Amino acid sequence: MKPAASVLLLTTLTGFGYGLLAWLALFALLGLLPASRWFMPVGVVVALGFAASGLIASMLHLGRPERAWRAFSQWRSSWLSREGVASLASFPPALGFAALWWGMGPAPVTVIVGLVAGALGLVTVYCTAMIYASLKPIRQWNNKHTAPNYMLLALFSGAMLMALLLACWTGQAGLAGLLVLLAGLLAAAAKLAYWRFIDTQKPLATLASATGLTRYGEVRPLDAPHFTENYVLREMGYQIARKHAARLRRITIATAFLLPSLLALLAGLGLVPALLIILATLLTAMGLFIERWLFFAEATHVATLYYGR
Amino acid sequence: MTSLPTPDPGAKKLGLVIDLDTCVGCHACAVNCKEWNTGGHAAPLPDYDPYGKEPDGVWFNRIHSYEAGCGEASRTVNFPRSCLHCENPQCVTVCPTGASYKRVEDGIVLVDMDKCIGCKLCSWACPYGAREFDELAGVMKKCTLCIDRIYNETLPAEEREPACVATCPSRARHFGDFNDPESKVSKLVAQRGGVELMPELGYKPVNRYLPPRQAQIQTAPRERAAEGGNKLLRLLDKVLSR
Repeated sequence: MKPAASVLLLTTLTGFGYGLLAWLALFALLGLLPASRWFMPVGVVVALGFAASGLIASMLHLGRPERAWRAFSQWRSSWLSREGVASLASFPPALGFAALWWGMGPAPVTVIVGLVAGALGLVTVYCTAMIYASLKPIRQWNNKHTAPNYMLLALFSGAMLMALLLACWTGQAGLAGLLVLLAGLLAAAAKLAYWRFIDTQKPLATLASATGLTRYGEVRPLDAPHFTENYVLREMGYQIARKHAARLRRITIATAFLLPSLLALLAGLGLVPALLIILATLLTAMGLFIERWLFFAEATHVATLYYGR
Repeated sequence: MTSLPTPDPGAKKLGLVIDLDTCVGCHACAVNCKEWNTGGHAAPLPDYDPYGKEPDGVWFNRIHSYEAGCGEASRTVNFPRSCLHCENPQCVTVCPTGASYKRVEDGIVLVDMDKCIGCKLCSWACPYGAREFDELAGVMKKCTLCIDRIYNETLPAEEREPACVATCPSRARHFGDFNDPESKVSKLVAQRGGVELMPELGYKPVNRYLPPRQAQIQTAPRERAAEGGNKLLRLLDKVLSR
């Protein structure tokens, strides 16, 4: 599948933003946030900024962005529509969370509104994952790994932002550093399990079953219907990634998970926390972008069987 | 509404039968489809760079050719590919806007191009690669089963069939109601063992493909030709065979 920049930005940025929102709510519940009137509201603005940037980026890949409002209507059947509804629904409680904190501090009502916002954010990430996980013609997406992967990656990248905010605000990463380490190792394990799974999957169909010619056994393409790429091949016949997949996977594991986790651990132990966490966040952003590029580029669509791909 | 309609057992189930035995791979169906539909319900079907080095455009039929099997039993199969108007079309249910829909009354899968936001998700959900995006209008386009021909009362009754069916020079394409066991398409499927494409994906396509016939015209082996008829030849054969 073609890794369009808009969907790469959508899926990574909303992961960062909604992951952070979830951790802000949890930290508020556990009383782990700095006793500042400003820290939490600033955190919410950062979280919503990431989420909104991702959502706006995804609108840019629409053929008719001015009609985007119509996408809120089909939540009964469409995960894309559900994603839109959930993301829109997350904004009022998130803003309420920030306002209540600013006005009342960590009162029970603040925490409850915060937990609602955090949950809606994670629901949005789940809906995004299910857009891909529900597509039957793409075996690398339509499996049990896709949704947990998206959730874990969102929680990991959110923890990274949380550590970044804390390190810059208080000069210490503390507990958040440990959280990054834990989430990073978990996310890396999930990603490795996903890759092992897609490498051992069998193709969904054969050219023989796609053409109804199973009686003949093997079927081979002879003449293509057209001699240039058409929409189907441009959108779904993307082949560039497969050549470099193994190396890019190693780069992903190192830059997205292992190095940042190590840096976060050192920061947690008190070694130039702000500097190390900034470096770790940049590495994670880069690594997750490559990871998401692979998620698309490595995905094969069953319709390309007709073209012998 | 992109939830699928509750199936009405009495409703028509319109679709195509494509005969892979008689298709000669001439692309006439693709061309006549393009010609009709660029002025029809889904109009226009754009072409990009039509006279340049990389011509491309929106087509609702793509005609592949395949080699099936090996050795004496192998053959070339021409294979027209178009929307199969599935009974369980995921292209419809993934649509976030309600632009993609399946008609209750005849099962035709259509796009309301005034509602489509061009997210392309429906094309990802189609295992048959049947939907093609109109890059100029920013909306998705697909086969309409020539909805503007089959119900068109300004056309003579015999012309109320899809453009691809009407033009096929080898009569390899047939149109009809699969819910009527007496229809031509139902009978063809029953007689010739019409098959679904990729049944394992569960989309329940309506269109059926008729596999190439296996029966060949039996001819006597040529080296035994002298056994019949001419007495002189038989005598010569006997003498020479000594």
